[in-house]
Amino acid sequence: MSFGRFVLKRSLQGLGVVWGVVTVVFALRFVTPGSAINAVAPLDASQETRRAIATELGLDQPLYVQYGQYIFDLLRGDMGFSYIRGQEVVGLVFARLPATVELALAASIVAIGLSIPLGVLSATRRNEPIDYGATLFSLGGISTPNFWLGIMLILIFAVEFDVFNTSGRGVDVGDVALSVIGSEPFVGTLLAWLAYITLPAIALGTYFMALITRLTRSGMLDELGKGYVQAARAKGLPDTLVRYKHALRNTLIPVITVLGLQLGTLIGGAVITEAVFSWPGLGTLVIDSINRRDWPVLQGSLIVIGTSFVLVNVLVDAVYAYLDPQVVND
Amino acid sequence: MRSDNDDHINRRTMLTYAGTAAAIGLAGCSGNDGGDGSDGSDGSDGSDGSDGSDGSDGSDGSGGDDAFDIGVTMGQMDSGLDPQDHAETNTEIIVGQAYEGLLDRDKQGGIIAGLANDWERTEDGSVRFTLRDGVTFHNGDSLTAEDAAFSIRRIVFDDVGIASPQKNDLGSVSEVVAGDGEVTVSFEGFNPIAFQLFATNCEVVQRSWIEENDSNYINRNANGTGPFVVTEYDSGNEVAYEAYDDYWGDDNPVDGLTMSASSESSTRVNRLLAEETDIVTNVPPQEVSRVESSDVAGINSVPSARIIFLQMRYDVEPFSSQQFRQAMNHAVDVESIVENVLNGFGSITGQPTLEGHVGHNPDIEPYPYDPEEAERLVEESGHAGAEITLQTPIGRYLGDVEIAQAAANQIDSLSNVSCELEQREFSSLVQDITTGNIEDKPHFNLLGWGNAEFDGSQTITPLMTTDGALTILENEELDQLLADAENTEDPDERVETLQEANQLAHDLAPWVFLHQQFSVYGVSSDISWEPRSDEFIDPDTATRQ
Repeated sequence: MSFGRFVLKRSLQGLGVVWGVVTVVFALRFVTPGSAINAVAPLDASQETRRAIATELGLDQPLYVQYGQYIFDLLRGDMGFSYIRGQEVVGLVFARLPATVELALAASIVAIGLSIPLGVLSATRRNEPIDYGATLFSLGGISTPNFWLGIMLILIFAVEFDVFNTSGRGVDVGDVALSVIGSEPFVGTLLAWLAYITLPAIALGTYFMALITRLTRSGMLDELGKGYVQAARAKGLPDTLVRYKHALRNTLIPVITVLGLQLGTLIGGAVITEAVFSWPGLGTLVIDSINRRDWPVLQGSLIVIGTSFVLVNVLVDAVYAYLDPQVVND
Repeated sequence: MRSDNDDHINRRTMLTYAGTAAAIGLAGCSGNDGGDGSDGSDGSDGSDGSDGSDGSDGSDGSGGDDAFDIGVTMGQMDSGLDPQDHAETNTEIIVGQAYEGLLDRDKQGGIIAGLANDWERTEDGSVRFTLRDGVTFHNGDSLTAEDAAFSIRRIVFDDVGIASPQKNDLGSVSEVVAGDGEVTVSFEGFNPIAFQLFATNCEVVQRSWIEENDSNYINRNANGTGPFVVTEYDSGNEVAYEAYDDYWGDDNPVDGLTMSASSESSTRVNRLLAEETDIVTNVPPQEVSRVESSDVAGINSVPSARIIFLQMRYDVEPFSSQQFRQAMNHAVDVESIVENVLNGFGSITGQPTLEGHVGHNPDIEPYPYDPEEAERLVEESGHAGAEITLQTPIGRYLGDVEIAQAAANQIDSLSNVSCELEQREFSSLVQDITTGNIEDKPHFNLLGWGNAEFDGSQTITPLMTTDGALTILENEELDQLLADAENTEDPDERVETLQEANQLAHDLAPWVFLHQQFSVYGVSSDISWEPRSDEFIDPDTATRQ
């Protein structure tokens, strides 16, 4: 199979997954207790008022009609209308997506930037104090719930020392980019952006960082013990070249797979972190929509999250296949 | 002082200039602004359904040189800016900065003038509102009687645009007529609480603006007559306002307002303590001491219009026995719950109507905590050995699960009753509670009820009369008392009838009467602001310390 056919096959599989997500998410509203009408109407609304609201929202239509209409609208790029907020779902969801992607990428940068060097260092200095320290650090990161870590970070660095903002997203990465050509000073805008994003990025990225550190360490140890590394050393290649060109490259193949999966998880799984930091992303929109039984918005959010997850994984598969051509034929 | 948005600007500005100074040696500063304004004057009370009038018109203007910005952080944002297409307190707080009703309420819940500076009942029982002169919408157009009439029609008649969830909030309106600077509203029958209803509900929109725009636009923009103009709307995240320069009312000392939300109570408190916001809502009891011990903020609380209780369905055993229901009231130590679970932020109740509301009966004492009396009444009821389950929502009301746990434990500690607790997600529980069929409702559950109209009938009718949407009781005598109260045109007689109904409700004990919930706010030390009992937040009444 060629590389192109491999990517095409993965993409079609991804489309199937997205369709599954759409269907499951649509079905969720009918198996989850609680009616959207109660989110719109006051508790003491008459049954007549409830029926009028149900009719206005289209909730009195048969299930297959609602599903068919939803799929048809979706194919036209219409995610529907939030009957709770009275606004287009597309606008609501895509207004939140940049914040979530920004946070996920920032968390990934924090995680990757620290974890791979730490994992390599830990493996190459096995059983030395730095290895013990890195192991302790990564175990702590894996074991710490990110909501607790988030609250602690806020208490220490925002409330006590007033270094960062407690919550919100007052400055975004777009502001930083604009400051390069605009009137706002770049360095100041960058610092202001960091004041908002640093704590949530650390809270979200810590587990990720710990995981990659452990994975890099064990992968490096595994590779460093293999015959080709011994052979390379026996040929007199510099140790640095052996470690970072040969061993690390092979170590990175499974790491990249996990990176891809985790990036998807970061996009969809930032719900708790976003809630703790009041970060205006998809996670807080999902929570709010669940609480309000705003099904169209919830469906739209989950479809975007699911699609992002699938896209990232297709991309990872492609990179994986590029790094290891054997995957294509397997 | 620093508010959320203000802080954002300050912190951003600070960091911007700090960074820039470090980089290129530049520094800067920001100024403040605020236009001139002259005083307006206050309206007079027209409580309990009587006619009323405003003192005089206020003149426009915003805060002047002392104007400042303010930030408010709530638990949840709005569900869109259409003032007539929602039924939520948080949404009301957000849209209520830009929109106003014909009548309004003061901090204690008394009726005061709004867009109408005169209101009276006509001979045929209709109500007439005379509109204030010189009121303009934020787009500059003048308020007309047709706008006010359209606003009422849009709420109560399904064929005027939307099926408003507020349809029942104005009573059974039959006709709305716009006259020369006045609006007359007629009802199907006599409506004794028309002014109470209009003081709480019915924000006025501009007819042409509504008809020219679609729902998506109306829910993302605002064009009211209120003290604040929406300048930026970030759905679900933040709404920014500035003072409306041509506002008809009193001087607004607040120049800029930012409303935002944090669902996590600890985050709200942290924002307050980090001086990123000025007012935070629903400070949980366990966070109160942290706020009070800080030197940047304090706690302001006020008894709210919300009552918390345990409903018992009259048609199922053992709750079909009045003695058993009374026994449950004696079994629960409400004083201890208020003290230990709510940190004192609640007051004990013994009737459905709260103190200060129309129809409250001052002669009724709450059921005393008396486990022995409870056991005796259970024996007499013939339901000794009863096994009951209390259902409670999770996180809907202040300390709801902990309150229900305490109550269930206290009932379970009786020698002849065992009680279990079932925690339910609110949406799930409310689906059972709001079913039109009493047979589908829970037997025993915790619920809260906000009475923004400050009138006892607005609690007893929906929750205790036979045809009430949420009723768990059927009692002809109580039904008749409420019907009498509904039909009487004499306010004093009506109060007496409602007091009698409250005494009967106390004796029938369809609820375990728990407490009146308090609204607990964290407030920055930089400002002085008194909360309202109807849970609405009015930042324009804040002053700088």
